[in-house]
Amino acid sequence: MSLKLDYVLRETASNFRRNVTLTLATVITVTISLTLLGAALLFGDAVDNATVRWKDGVEFIVFMEPDIAPELEAGIRHQLEESSEVSDFTYIDKDEAYAEVQELLGDSPELVEVITPERLPASFRVKPTDTLPERVDELASVFRAQPGVAKVVTASETIRAIEDLSSGLRQRVIIIAIVLLVAAAVLILNTIRMALFSRRRDIEVMKLVGATNWFIRVPFMFEGLIQGLIGGVIAIPLIWLTNNFFSVINDDVSLELLRGFTVDPARVWALGFQMVGLGALVGTVGSGIAVSRFLDT
Amino acid sequence: MIRMENVTKVYKGEVLALQNATCEVQRGEFVFLVGPSGSGKSTFMRLLNKEEKPDRGQVFVAGRDIGKLPSWKVPFLRRNIGCVFQDFKLLPNKTVVQNVAFALEVIGSPRSVIKSKVPAILELVGLSRKMHNYPDELSGGEQQRVSIARAFVNRPLILLADEPTGNLDPNTSMGIMTLLDRINRTGTTVVMATHDRSIVDKMRRRVVELDRGQIVRDQSRGVYE
Repeated sequence: MSLKLDYVLRETASNFRRNVTLTLATVITVTISLTLLGAALLFGDAVDNATVRWKDGVEFIVFMEPDIAPELEAGIRHQLEESSEVSDFTYIDKDEAYAEVQELLGDSPELVEVITPERLPASFRVKPTDTLPERVDELASVFRAQPGVAKVVTASETIRAIEDLSSGLRQRVIIIAIVLLVAAAVLILNTIRMALFSRRRDIEVMKLVGATNWFIRVPFMFEGLIQGLIGGVIAIPLIWLTNNFFSVINDDVSLELLRGFTVDPARVWALGFQMVGLGALVGTVGSGIAVSRFLDT
Repeated sequence: MIRMENVTKVYKGEVLALQNATCEVQRGEFVFLVGPSGSGKSTFMRLLNKEEKPDRGQVFVAGRDIGKLPSWKVPFLRRNIGCVFQDFKLLPNKTVVQNVAFALEVIGSPRSVIKSKVPAILELVGLSRKMHNYPDELSGGEQQRVSIARAFVNRPLILLADEPTGNLDPNTSMGIMTLLDRINRTGTTVVMATHDRSIVDKMRRRVVELDRGQIVRDQSRGVYE
């Protein structure tokens, strides 16, 4: 038996016309769910970006002069290795620093352009054995006094708060995302089931005259696919709006701590398209499951 | 064409719809199923197109044990069995011609076939002039003709009619019976459940009487009771 494309298209079009309100409800549900999910994931990314330097217990960073003499740098390294108060440290060279800046400033290419790896300082990210703020400050000031050191930045109380927040936030964002996704799927399933209930007569007749289950199912699944696609496409600009909101936070100089609270535009686009794909998947599978309830097994 | 062997059907473990029923219908026969409400007439019909499964016994349609039919093949069984109901089961948002064409579309008939078959069958049931009307613009008798056209457009081997005249006045009912008789004369086996005494007495066809799930009478050229 062949499924005819024109039959599927005609059925889908007439279903849309007949159930305008239900279709609208489904599309809005999909849009809102996908926007919230996308925004939540985006927020997680932004927090990650903002706190990337302060991951894994890094308490202070020793930035060296860009033109530091190699022996001075070796001296600092030696001092870090010998110190009983340092549990671990990472060396970030100019290229790595550049790569990080590129990622952070991804949405302002004009800024990235004027920065070159040579102009960036190499740095040591230091994890002290004792994370008590006073002890960290004490240790940091030891390095601040070293020749060749341009600046020592400690993770202030606020940074630590953000850092604590970010690890908790990440988990929470994932949980929220999963809950939203399930809610979206259930809502779509329910909306489609309501739409199907209003058409149970059609399905009854189709079964009666010998339509196969797939023949009955495909137009409904196609309908769900289109609803999911439309919902996902509408979600893209809304996700962009969320991203613009991040930029507003970022541009506010008084919120210096949140510098780097931004996401690469390519990532926003990718996320948008993932949401469209997810919408299409949930729509198709949701209607497939919903219609199965009305079919013989 | 149809054979039931010791078929028992119990609903929800207590309502006995059919009890040890054995019955055979030859190709081209016209059979009335009579009996009070709840005697098992509808269950008898629903077993034939596998809307229900028997708890015991076997049902054969066109020589095949339909209990052994895999579920994906059930639609193909149903393409050989047309169904007509008391409440017509027409789709209200489709016109007469669309309702009938729908039955062919969903089994994947080519458009050329639909274009030739649908007007021909509407001519047969006498509704050529109302092709583009919607069901609610038709009388009860006309709606039943559409539903018969839909059931028969695919030329099934068997036509099942569950109280097709239940909602119609006596004159209109006779018109429907004339139509079913014509369909029967084309070689289609017709099984019709009915409460309509005058129709059964007038037609003088085979009568199978059910009472509380048991076949209590099977009489050729019979009357209602």
